[in-house]
Amino acid sequence: MPTPDSRREAIRRTLEEHSGGGSDAAAVAEATISTWHQMAGRLSPVIGVQGVNVLFSRSLHLTSATFPWLVNDGDRGSNAAQLATLEARLAGCKPEVSAEASYALLVNFTELLTTLIGAPLTGRLLSPVWEPQSSAIEREAQP
Amino acid sequence: MNDKVAINLLTTGVPGLDQVLGGGVPEFSFNLIMGPPGSGKTTLAHQIMFALATPERPALFFTVLGEPPLKMLRYQQQFSFFDFDKVSESIRFVNLSEDVVTGNYDQTLVRITQELESSSPALVIIDSFRSAVLETSRQSRGAIRLQQFIQQLGVLLSGWQTTAFLVGEFLSSCDPNPVLTVADGLLSLDQKVYRNSMVRQLQVLKMRGQDTRPGMHTFRITSAGIEIFAAAVVRIDTGDETVANVTLRSEVRLTMGVPRLDEMLGGGLPAGYSLLVAGPSGSGKTILATAFLAEGVRCGEPGIIVAFEQTPSQSWVRTLNDLVRSGKIGLINTRTLDLSMDEIVQHLTNLIHKMKATRVVIDSLSGFELAVAPAFREDFRESLFRMITVLSGLGVTVLLTSELEDRYIDLRFSPYGSAFLTDAIIVQRYIEVESRLKRVMAVVKVRASAHSTEIRQFEITDEGIVIGDPVLDYEGLLGGRPTRTPAPETDKRGKP
Repeated sequence: MPTPDSRREAIRRTLEEHSGGGSDAAAVAEATISTWHQMAGRLSPVIGVQGVNVLFSRSLHLTSATFPWLVNDGDRGSNAAQLATLEARLAGCKPEVSAEASYALLVNFTELLTTLIGAPLTGRLLSPVWEPQSSAIEREAQP
Repeated sequence: MNDKVAINLLTTGVPGLDQVLGGGVPEFSFNLIMGPPGSGKTTLAHQIMFALATPERPALFFTVLGEPPLKMLRYQQQFSFFDFDKVSESIRFVNLSEDVVTGNYDQTLVRITQELESSSPALVIIDSFRSAVLETSRQSRGAIRLQQFIQQLGVLLSGWQTTAFLVGEFLSSCDPNPVLTVADGLLSLDQKVYRNSMVRQLQVLKMRGQDTRPGMHTFRITSAGIEIFAAAVVRIDTGDETVANVTLRSEVRLTMGVPRLDEMLGGGLPAGYSLLVAGPSGSGKTILATAFLAEGVRCGEPGIIVAFEQTPSQSWVRTLNDLVRSGKIGLINTRTLDLSMDEIVQHLTNLIHKMKATRVVIDSLSGFELAVAPAFREDFRESLFRMITVLSGLGVTVLLTSELEDRYIDLRFSPYGSAFLTDAIIVQRYIEVESRLKRVMAVVKVRASAHSTEIRQFEITDEGIVIGDPVLDYEGLLGGRPTRTPAPETDKRGKP
């Protein structure tokens, strides 16, 4: 079973991989949104779209304590608006700050889910998202 | 040649359930688990699913509007049967609530069909059903009707070769739900609260093609999940078999461990008999029972005591404790007040098989009645009969003690009318002799056997019960106030 540290490490690595190293804020923003969609895609069949949206809003709220600029009060209640703001705000700041905020958000989301359904189940549901792209490709290549 | 289709039974892995269902759940059946909120429906469905799901026999669990899936996953994983390895490998959870909220029956069916196509499950669970029915019926204008939906769901799930369980909330009998006729199996769960105790019960209302066990079966939910205590069945034997049993049973006699008592019983207690020891408080019933068990250990006959009484620390209790501690005697000690007879019988039967026990003591019926949930007290006598029948079917010899209110105006053996249920009766009484309380004991009955009819005085010493001579010089002993009988002629002449 992955430890909290190894899971955080996997989240950081995944974001870096998806954003091509994290040197461009727009790429970081795009990687964040696409990773988020993968996570939501894994979770919503199980816990429902509403369940996923509620957890997302909560983790965004928790992350905004450190990165207040991630949210816009007017977006409250609309998941699509929250995501749009998130993408725009991440793309509009320094790449390293953007990467840090993105990482914090996904960690908060994963840990929030862990407090509710436990680490083993969270791991089982989300581990394909954290799988390094190279090994995912290898796995798909296998018959 | 027999071309009839063979119905494969799936063993559910829920302790006691397969017994109640007559072997298991028929493959490709469409079953309904119903009951009020909190009765254990989702837990039962989960337990069955985790037991049956394998990579070759994958399961699909649809959550509808009942319990939010996050909470269900959070709470259900507390049970030991929740196997993380099976999640996603052989079990898929699918949330249908959005489809149900936005769609109608047709769309819900399409969504279910899509999921069946994509994962080809062998097991399907839909939780919870009534919420789906309510939600869709609200929006059913113009769409197919409820009954058709259920009919189609049934056809769909069987057609896709799935064994399906629909979990539903309480369906009242005055609300004839179409699902009741479509379903192949109906399991009803209930919880009864009576005074300060709660009893959970399960009933199989219907299970097509299965010889199910009738009646209400009590169950408990623990960290291991649900455990069902199948109600004991009293088998109807033919007359011949009964006679054969009696002959067989009474051939072997057990020693009681109390000097002279075997003699009073006509040579010991016939094996397989049930013996009622009735007497007032402190008369020595438990000591007699302990002696019976200790004697069994001495003779290599393991015993079990079902204790409902708090006993003081006396030397003979220490004997009992030592025997229990060394594993020579099994102990079922219970202080709960929500017990069912079936639960005790189940524990007792398991322990009898495990220890290969031949002697069983139940001490006492009065304590037992207190420990039984108030809801069952009305049926206590009937349950007692069932228990004695089951134990006698197992071939064990049973000693039951019963508190007897010391009334001197009538001769009573037991407050339950249980005297006729047992094969043998020993009664203990106090009598007043020269302003002192003395104990007497008599064998009232030993079925199909000669026995002593004497009333004998006895004492309780550190060594146990010491039976004295017959009380010949008093009469009216059972009335409690004996009078000395006139001395016989021989005494007058001074001869012994």
